[in-house]
Amino acid sequence: MSVKQAQARHSRPRAQRAGAGSQRRRRSVWKSIKDSRMLLVMCAPAILFFLVFNYGPLPGVWIAFTNFNYHDGIFGSPFVGFKNFDFLIKSGQLWTLTRNTVLFNLAFIVLGNVLQIAIAIMFNEVRLKFFKKVTQSVMFLPYFISVVLVGVIAFNLLNYDTGALNALIKATGGDPIKIYSMAGAWPLIIILVHLWQSTGYGSIVYFAAIMGIDKGLFEAAAIDGASAWQRIRYVILPSLKPTFIILLLFSLGGIMHGNFGLFWNLIGNNASLFSTTDIIETSVYRMVMSQNNFTTSTAVGLYQSLFGFAIVMIANWTVRKMNKDYALF
Amino acid sequence: MSRRIITGVAAVAVLGLGTTMLASCSSGGDDGKPTEITMLVLGDKPTNGRLEAMLDKLNERLLEQANATLDLFYVEWADWQTQYNLQLLSGDSNVDLITTATDWLFAWENAEKGAFLPLSEEMLQEHAPKTWAQVDADGDWELTKLDDQIYFIPEDNFTQYTNHGFFYRGDWAAEAGFPDGEITEFEDFTTYFQWIKDNQPDAYPWDVAGSLDAALTGYLQGHTDLTTIQQVTAGNYFPFQTSPSDPTSVTSWYMEGDELVEAAELAKEWNEIGVWREDALNYDGDTREEFFAGLSGTDQHHTQTFIGSIVNSMNEKQPGSDPKMFYWGQENGNVYKDIKTHGAMAVSANSKNPEKALEVYDLLRNDETDYKLLNFGIEGTDYVMTDDGKLGYPEGYDASTDALGSNFWAGRMDEFEPDRVTDAPDKAEIYAALDAVAKDYPYTTFVVDKTPLESTLAAVSGVFAEYIPQLQYGKFDDPAAAVAEMRQKLEDVGFEDARAGLEEQLKQWGADQGVS
Amino acid sequence: MHSSETPLISATETLTVPGKKRRWASNQARPVKSAKSDLVLRFVSYVFITLFALFCLLPFVLIVSASLSSESEIMRSGFGLLPKDFSFTAYEYIFKAPRQIIGSYVVTVVMTVTGTAVGLVVIAMTGFALFRQDFPFRNHISFFIYFTTLFSAGLAPTFLWVSNTLGLRGSYLAVWLPLLMTPWLIILMKNFMRTVPFEIVESGKIDGAGDFRIFWQLTLPMMKPALATVGLFLALGYWNEWYLSSLYLGSTVEFKPLQYYLYNIINTANALRNSVAGSNVSITDLPSNTLKMASAVVATGPILLLYPWVQKYFVSGITVGAVKG
Repeated sequence: MSVKQAQARHSRPRAQRAGAGSQRRRRSVWKSIKDSRMLLVMCAPAILFFLVFNYGPLPGVWIAFTNFNYHDGIFGSPFVGFKNFDFLIKSGQLWTLTRNTVLFNLAFIVLGNVLQIAIAIMFNEVRLKFFKKVTQSVMFLPYFISVVLVGVIAFNLLNYDTGALNALIKATGGDPIKIYSMAGAWPLIIILVHLWQSTGYGSIVYFAAIMGIDKGLFEAAAIDGASAWQRIRYVILPSLKPTFIILLLFSLGGIMHGNFGLFWNLIGNNASLFSTTDIIETSVYRMVMSQNNFTTSTAVGLYQSLFGFAIVMIANWTVRKMNKDYALF
Repeated sequence: MSRRIITGVAAVAVLGLGTTMLASCSSGGDDGKPTEITMLVLGDKPTNGRLEAMLDKLNERLLEQANATLDLFYVEWADWQTQYNLQLLSGDSNVDLITTATDWLFAWENAEKGAFLPLSEEMLQEHAPKTWAQVDADGDWELTKLDDQIYFIPEDNFTQYTNHGFFYRGDWAAEAGFPDGEITEFEDFTTYFQWIKDNQPDAYPWDVAGSLDAALTGYLQGHTDLTTIQQVTAGNYFPFQTSPSDPTSVTSWYMEGDELVEAAELAKEWNEIGVWREDALNYDGDTREEFFAGLSGTDQHHTQTFIGSIVNSMNEKQPGSDPKMFYWGQENGNVYKDIKTHGAMAVSANSKNPEKALEVYDLLRNDETDYKLLNFGIEGTDYVMTDDGKLGYPEGYDASTDALGSNFWAGRMDEFEPDRVTDAPDKAEIYAALDAVAKDYPYTTFVVDKTPLESTLAAVSGVFAEYIPQLQYGKFDDPAAAVAEMRQKLEDVGFEDARAGLEEQLKQWGADQGVS
Repeated sequence: MHSSETPLISATETLTVPGKKRRWASNQARPVKSAKSDLVLRFVSYVFITLFALFCLLPFVLIVSASLSSESEIMRSGFGLLPKDFSFTAYEYIFKAPRQIIGSYVVTVVMTVTGTAVGLVVIAMTGFALFRQDFPFRNHISFFIYFTTLFSAGLAPTFLWVSNTLGLRGSYLAVWLPLLMTPWLIILMKNFMRTVPFEIVESGKIDGAGDFRIFWQLTLPMMKPALATVGLFLALGYWNEWYLSSLYLGSTVEFKPLQYYLYNIINTANALRNSVAGSNVSITDLPSNTLKMASAVVATGPILLLYPWVQKYFVSGITVGAVKG
C-alpha cells in the first residue's frame, strides 16, 4: 500500500468507518439481488400469483371475529371477539371431532404413502409395456369418479336389503350384516375408499422419482449380487426418502382439514356412525347449514389452520434437526 | 416450443380478456336507452331455447310499456344455498330483483345484512302502483317490514297450500279395509303398511330416502295443539312451538311431553314391520318415481305437489290407484294456511335501476299478457288453452325437455292462474276443505333477531342431527331412552337459553301487537 | 458447491451389503440367487397390480353397466356388473341436445391444455430457482409459497376478493388462473431437481450461460419424468375442477366446465332432498340414476387417454457415469 493510500484510509473519520459494516451488509443484499436477478425473475410469476390469490384475500379472515353485514363490509362490521367460535365449544363435540379428523388424516397419509410407494416399486418391476400402460391408466379412474357417485356405489355394495356384499354372504349361508349401523366398521371402509380413490394418482410421484434414480446404481447393485428385496431396501427406498418426507411434511399442514366430500357422501345423516366418522367439516356443515352465516365457517377454518400450522412448525423443525436438506424450509 | 407457449398464453389472455369484457357489459340506463332489468330466480337454467324465445316476445312488450327489458339470472339447485348467499354477499350490481322467501330463502337475514333495498311507500306508489294498492288493501305490507321499512313484496295473492302429509294409494287402502280407501288417522297407516307388506311383495310400504323429520312432525301435529314457530330453524328442524292457550310462551315438543316418545315408538313399530329399507338413512333413490312405478305405497310432501303432479302422474302411470292425501293435523285441525311471504320479491341494495325494476315487476305481476308470457310461455308452442279453460300442452310436449323454466314464484296471482290439465280434478274441493279448517299463522309479523340465538341453535342443530333421523326411522332399540338422552344433550348445549331468549322477543312482539 | 447429500452418495454407501462377503469378480455373471428373487418380485408385482387394477376398475364397471341399463330395473334391484335390461336411453338423452356437452368439452380442453402449458413453465422455473443452493433467497421464497397452504382466508373473504376486488366473477379466468400452480407442485418440482446433477449447472456456468439458458437448454431436457408428473397433475386438476366453477361461474356462462356440468346433474336431487328447499319446492323430472351414470362416463372417458400419451416421458433418467466421463 502506498503512503498516499494509507493516509487516505486513516483520514476518514472513525464514525464513517464503523458504519461501513452495515453499509457492507446492505451492499451485499443488493449484490445478492443483482447476482441472482435472473433466478429472482424466474420466481417472479409464482410470487405474484401467490400474492394475488392467497395473500390478497387473507386479511379477510378478520370476518371470523365480526358480526358481518354487507353494508359495512369486512372491516366495518361490528367486532364480536370469539363469539363465532362459541357454537363449536358449546356443542361439546370439539374434542371428538378433532380427534376423528386428525386420526383419519394420519391413516390416510401413512397408509396412503406406503401403498403408493409399494405400487410404484411394483410398477417399476413390470416389463410388459402394454400391461403397464393399461393398468396405469386404469388406476387413475377412481380419481375421476365424483364422490357423490362413490356414495351411491358404496350404498349399492354395502346395504342390507339389496347390497352385493350381503348377497354374497347369504349365498354362502351366512347372516346378512347391517353395515350401515356398525360404527366400528366405517373407519376401515372410509380408509379403503380413500385408498381406492387416491393411490393410483399419488403413486405417480413415486414412480417418477424411481425413474429418476441413476441407472448406474442398479447396475452396481446387480454386480454386488443384491437380491430383489435388497435392491428395494438399499437403492430404491433411500432414493424415495426425501420425496416421502417432503410429502409427509406437506400433508401435515392439512391434517386438520378433512375431506368433506368423501365423508358427507358416504355417511350422510346416518347418526349411528357419527361417533367414529364425524369430522370437523361435516359436523360444522350440519350445524350451520340453515343459517346464512359465513362468519362461523371462517372461524372454524381459522381454528383448523392454526392447529395445522403449529403441527407443521414442530415437524419441520424436527426434520431440520435431522437433515437440513429434507426440511420444507 | 417456446413459440407455441407464447401463442398459447396470448390465446388465453385474449380469451380471458374477452370473457371479462363480455361479462361486465353495461346494461344501458341512459335516458332514452332501454334499461335491462335482471331478476334472480332459483332453478336450473333451461337450455332448450324456449326461455329465450319467450323473453324476446316479452321484451317487445316491456320496451313499449316501460322502456326496459328483462333478463333472468339463475341460481342452480346443485349448490343453491351457498350460491344464493354468495350472490347476495357479492353485492353484484347486475342483479336488480331478487326472489326470496322468509321461510326458506333467508329473507330476514339478508334484509338485516343489507342485501335488500328498503322500499319507501312513495317509491312503491309511484313505480309499482297496482301492486302497492293490492297488497295495501289486504294489509300485507306489515308482513314485510323490518324497523318500519318495507324490504320486499309479498306473493300474497296466490292460493297455495304447502302443508305436508302422506300421499297414499286409495286402491290399496280400500283392499286393506278402509272404507272408500280413506285413511283418517295417523296410526291407521300401520294397518295400511302392514297390508302392503303382506300383499305387495314388490313394493315397500313407504320407501324413504333422506332424513327430514316428516313422520315425527306428522304425529306431533296431529296429537297436540301446538303451533310451530316458523321463523326459527335449527338445521332442517323447527325446534320451537307455542300453544294456542298461551300464544306468547315458547315451548318445544322435542323437549316436553310424551308425544315425541309415542311418535318414536310408532316409528319403531313401522321399522320392525319393514315399512322402509333397513338402510333408509343412506338411501338416495328417487322415491317419488318409485311411487309412480308401484314400487312404493306411500310418498310424502305437500299439498301443492299433490295437486300439481302426484294425482296426474299416478293416474297416468298407475291407473286405478286412486291417489289420496292425508295431511298432518287432519285429525284435529292443527293445520295452517301458508304464510304470505313464502314467496317474495326484493330489490337488490346495489341495483342501478331500482325504480325501473319496480316498474317491470308491477307489469309482470299485473299485466295479464306479460304475466302469461313469463309464467307459461308462448301460446301454441309452450302451452295451449283447452275448451274448458284449462291450461294444457301441445302435442308432443315433454315436460322433462321442453319446460320453460322461468320459475317466477314471487308474484303469482290467482286471477291469472288457470287450472292445469294436470291438476287434480278435485283441486277446488281440496282447497275448500283446507280453507274451512286451516288457521291463519299468527306470527307472520314477528321478526326474530337471531344473532343472540345463533350459536346455540347451531349446537342444537348438531344434537338434532344426531337423534332425529334415527328416531324418525325407528332405528333406536329403545326410543324412550334415546329421547331422554337427546333431551339431556339439548339441555347441555343451552336449549333453555335459546328458548328463553326467543320467548323474550315473542313477548315483546306480543305486547306491541296487543296479544297477551 | 456440491450438495453433500444427494441420494447418489448415500445409496452407494449403503450398497455394500453388510455381512456378505464379496465372492465374485465384477466381470462374472450374476449368481442365480438374485435372478430368482427378481422373478419372485416380478411375479408378486404382476399379481398385486392386476388385483389393484381390478379394484380400481370395478366401480367404474358398475357405473358403465348402470348407464346402459333401464331406469326401472335399476330402481328395482340396484346396480350389477352387467347391464340390466340393456338400453341406450340415458345416452340418447344426453346426445339429443349435444350442444351443452360439446361446449363443455371444448371449454374444458382449452383450459386444460393452455393452463397446463403455462403452469408447467412457471412451476419448472420456480422449482429450478428454489433448488439452486447458490440462490440466497431460496428459503425465504420457499416459506412464502409454503405458508399459503397453512392459512387460507376461507370461503367468504376469498369470494369477495376474487369477485369484487379482482372482478373475475363470471369469467373463465376465475377458474383458469388459480389452478396454474399449487405450492405442492412447486415443491414437488423442486424435489425432482435433485435428480439433475449439479455438474450440469456448473458446466453451464463455466460456459458462461445465464441462469435461464441453463434452465431451458440444459436442465429441462433431463427432467422428463418430473415434467410429465407435474404436467399430468396440472392437467388432471383442470379436468376435474368443479368447485371454482360453482362459485364463480354458476349459470353466468353458457358452457360450464365439464365436471361442473356433471356435478349439476348429479347433485340437483341430493340438494333438494336434504335441504329445506326440498320441503318447499315441488320438483319433478329429476335426472334419473342411469342419466347420472351416463353423464359420469361421458365426462370421464377422454381423460383416460391422457396417461398413455404421457407415459412415454416416464423413462429412466440419465446415468451419472456419462456426465462424469
